[in-house]
Amino acid sequence: MRSELFLANLARGRFIGTRATAATLREQVEIALAQGNEVVFDFSGVEATQSFVDELIGALILRRGPDILNRLIFKSCSDDVRAVIEFVAADRCDQYIKANTH
Amino acid sequence: MAVLMPSSFGARSASAAVAACEAITDGAEPLAVVDCSQLKYVDPFGIAMLGATFHLVQLQGRQIQVLNLSANLQGYLTRMDVFKDVKLVGDYPVAVGTRHDRSTDLVELTCLDDKNQVDDAAFRLAKTIVGQLDGIDPNEPPDGMSCMNTADRLAEPIQYALSELLENALTHARRGGYPSSKVWVASQYYRRSGAIHLGVVDDGCGFLRSLEAHPSLKHKRDHEAILLALQPRVSCNRDQWLNQPDSVNQGVGLTTTARMAQKSGGRMVIVSGSAMHDTSGRTGGLSSGAYWQGVAIALECQRKRLPEVRIRELLPPYDAKPPVALRFE
Repeated sequence: MRSELFLANLARGRFIGTRATAATLREQVEIALAQGNEVVFDFSGVEATQSFVDELIGALILRRGPDILNRLIFKSCSDDVRAVIEFVAADRCDQYIKANTH
Repeated sequence: MAVLMPSSFGARSASAAVAACEAITDGAEPLAVVDCSQLKYVDPFGIAMLGATFHLVQLQGRQIQVLNLSANLQGYLTRMDVFKDVKLVGDYPVAVGTRHDRSTDLVELTCLDDKNQVDDAAFRLAKTIVGQLDGIDPNEPPDGMSCMNTADRLAEPIQYALSELLENALTHARRGGYPSSKVWVASQYYRRSGAIHLGVVDDGCGFLRSLEAHPSLKHKRDHEAILLALQPRVSCNRDQWLNQPDSVNQGVGLTTTARMAQKSGGRMVIVSGSAMHDTSGRTGGLSSGAYWQGVAIALECQRKRLPEVRIRELLPPYDAKPPVALRFE
């Protein structure tokens, strides 16, 4: 089952910027994941800072490991948002793997 | 004894501006006297510095008197709300007779002290800066490819940069014993040059204190700390997730903001402690032993180049790919 989160609801203008906003949203994500759902982040019509994406997804990767990405879906991303997500995911996965490699 | 303000109080004379502010806050007298007889020019960096400085003086329980301020600058500083929350001794500010509406050019001094204000502030400031610029129709329909109109393309890099800078100021700056630090922001569009100037100044712990435990900081000096902060993936708490999973930063916000300034034909000037760094060249210690407790940033960009800025081009290069494929729809 999927839980869908519409990020345009959080944007000011076309932008979602802060970690505080992402941290609050991540709590909803954690609940959905705990219920066994996949989570869909719908970025229709919005742009996001690297800080926001890192707090939302980077923190999940650091806590749960890269496999969490199997349960996250990114929908309707602009080229910029896609690039930010790819950057954050690559960086935090790399960090997680290095910290957990003996 | 009065503190004599320099003739130019802004990013291009950051050392002199910081030295003047330090002299104002370091005074022991109950009355801080600021002599503006030589003052000719103030920019948004200077406005934000004044906001922070006057706040600090009032926190000290001291009063402020401003002398010999020209009528032009009096009108400008009043319009920028520099004196708004300041109890001045003496005549200033007086009512400005005919207030020329410069709402398209100026964004008044704004003070933030809550990180939950950042999204709103960044949006409002960016929208105000670009919303009514020459030839810009905020109601222009978006184009079919990007779903953005001209106003969006101008505002996006500014809102992005402000969001990152303000967030930094209200999180990192509050470490190291400065839990109540604030951040002051001001902005102006200079029509003749087409330049947009932003000033973002906090009174927090500064880069050295924030990064003093970072393994890459070889020498505990302000200048080295500023240069380190500009490196991608450097943050005081990037690796703290092992112990504090709720508190992590990737260390990229300042890097991308500096790149935004450069890609838009501008520059970023960073002052922290006894040092400054100008992305257009000048870097090193502040002259005259000047010192700013916190971080003061001037961001300059060219309006005509802003639509060329793509956020994805601001990110540091990376080679790694996630071991699990990302799912895009």
